Amino acid sequence: MNRTLKVGLVFVLPILVYFLIFFIYPIISLFQNAFTNNAGTFTLANFQFMLRDRVLQISLTNTAYYYIGSLLIEYSLGFIVAVILYNYTGKLTTVFRTIIILPLMVSPVVIGLMWLLLFNQTYGPIDYFLKLLGLPAINWLGNPGWAMPALIIANGWEYSPFVFLIIYAGLQMVPPQLYEAASIDGLNRFQTFRYITLPSIRGPMIIAFLLNSIGILKGFDLVYVLTNGGPGYATYILSFYEYVVGFTYFQTHYAAALAILYLVIVGVFVFAMLKLTGAEKYLGVERIKE
Amino acid sequence: MKIKLTTVVVLILLVLASLVYIFPIYWTLVTALKTSLEIFTYPPIFFPTKIDLGNFYQPGNVFGAVSQTAIGSVPWMINSTIVAIFATLISTFLIAAPASYALVRYIKSVWLARLILFMTMIPEAVFMVPFFLIVIKLNILNTWWALIITYISFTAPFATWLLMGFFNDIPKSVEEAAQIDGLSPYQIFYRISLPLIMPGVVAAIILNFISCWNELLYALILTYSPFPSGAQTVPVFLTSFIIVEKSFAWGGLAAAGVFTMLPTIILGIIAQKYLARGLTLGAVKG
Repeated sequence: MNRTLKVGLVFVLPILVYFLIFFIYPIISLFQNAFTNNAGTFTLANFQFMLRDRVLQISLTNTAYYYIGSLLIEYSLGFIVAVILYNYTGKLTTVFRTIIILPLMVSPVVIGLMWLLLFNQTYGPIDYFLKLLGLPAINWLGNPGWAMPALIIANGWEYSPFVFLIIYAGLQMVPPQLYEAASIDGLNRFQTFRYITLPSIRGPMIIAFLLNSIGILKGFDLVYVLTNGGPGYATYILSFYEYVVGFTYFQTHYAAALAILYLVIVGVFVFAMLKLTGAEKYLGVERIKE
Repeated sequence: MKIKLTTVVVLILLVLASLVYIFPIYWTLVTALKTSLEIFTYPPIFFPTKIDLGNFYQPGNVFGAVSQTAIGSVPWMINSTIVAIFATLISTFLIAAPASYALVRYIKSVWLARLILFMTMIPEAVFMVPFFLIVIKLNILNTWWALIITYISFTAPFATWLLMGFFNDIPKSVEEAAQIDGLSPYQIFYRISLPLIMPGVVAAIILNFISCWNELLYALILTYSPFPSGAQTVPVFLTSFIIVEKSFAWGGLAAAGVFTMLPTIILGIIAQKYLARGLTLGAVKG
């Protein structure tokens, strides 16, 4: 055997074992469970049940609502704050940056607790401010119509710094010569942003979109702590429903079928995003071929 | 004059944004420092006049119910620390460092790289049933190993991907020089290349430690009692505390929340320089 290949195989062996334990085995186990019943005989019942499972339909709709709402808030807020900090020329840049990214370091469970305190209808500061502004107080977590917006607000607070961090880092990498050229050409502020800045941060913008999307689709903790799916099924999302089926009702086989559905949704999403946006280039998959 | 105006507007907007991001943390901190009399009052008190540390170590007695205490979270913290340290070190040194080095220098397989990337994107919930079944089969439910093993599922691909970028930055000439000096490929790896990417290794360790410390789902299904009898971690402690006492023991809860977030905030600030690079899987080097 070629010596280089041999050395390479030794180094790569642990991660191959890793794939066996953490990818191949779980996938086989999922299919084994999803296509059998408690007696261990082959069945399609789990997948047939999905088609008439009302709670699953609600969970999927909620997941879409949660995803779109969170993405809109996180992407726009993170982007705007990044542009603002980029335009700041004072000495406090590091201080502002540190404060803005604090939520990324806080455990989602603690974030759930924070927003429980903030959203409280009687003693919480949010409803207090609403009343100060002459608006009616909102029963954020108890009202089925407001629970999802509340969840999206909390999630937006948690992850908009993520988009901020990526976009801000991208903005700092724009070569200053480009701006000099723009000012020589007589471009105004808006034109400079549109024709110089935006095209230069295309990569970070795509990465932020992809990774933020995946982060939202992975979500579980905040729902579990802040609303626990409620009121009723108002904040059931796919991950939470799968957990309830598997570990509250102990229907392991149906939970496995739901996990396959979940994996397919995330897989198709990731694949489509990588193909449509060319994100692989920015993540550096190709660099290893050099 | 026009420039000055924009500077002022930018500063005002930045202060507003900072307030938005710091207020929930501030509110949790002041709630922890208030007495229950000050917590349950309207209008809410934004600047408490005196600081009361009782919530951190005294069992609360609010509305006639005795609550858990923040200091009571120590047995859970022990578990969290041990699990996070072992999962992080095993995945970094035994799996990620050699694998990322091999991918960059020896086995240049794009497909293997894609698979690692995909592993970082799979939601934890997808594999919770198989992992639960493995843990039952191995008879390690409610032990450190149950969590260490399952946490490796997400720490290893993350560290591998991050370290690939760092290894890629090492000039090949450095390794070629070592080769001429007669070092074997294995010696080059752990005497030359690995020490050269120490900042990357430290970043991977800190960021993975934070994700292990914060992890909830696997700890929820795989553990059921605190140290010394079991392996339950801080997020599970806090979650059950929240579910049982969320309507009354706010001071104690907020204090426990402060305890839980303090270690990761400190680590996060230390690793701030690498946060962008780490969280974007190396795509942005900021």
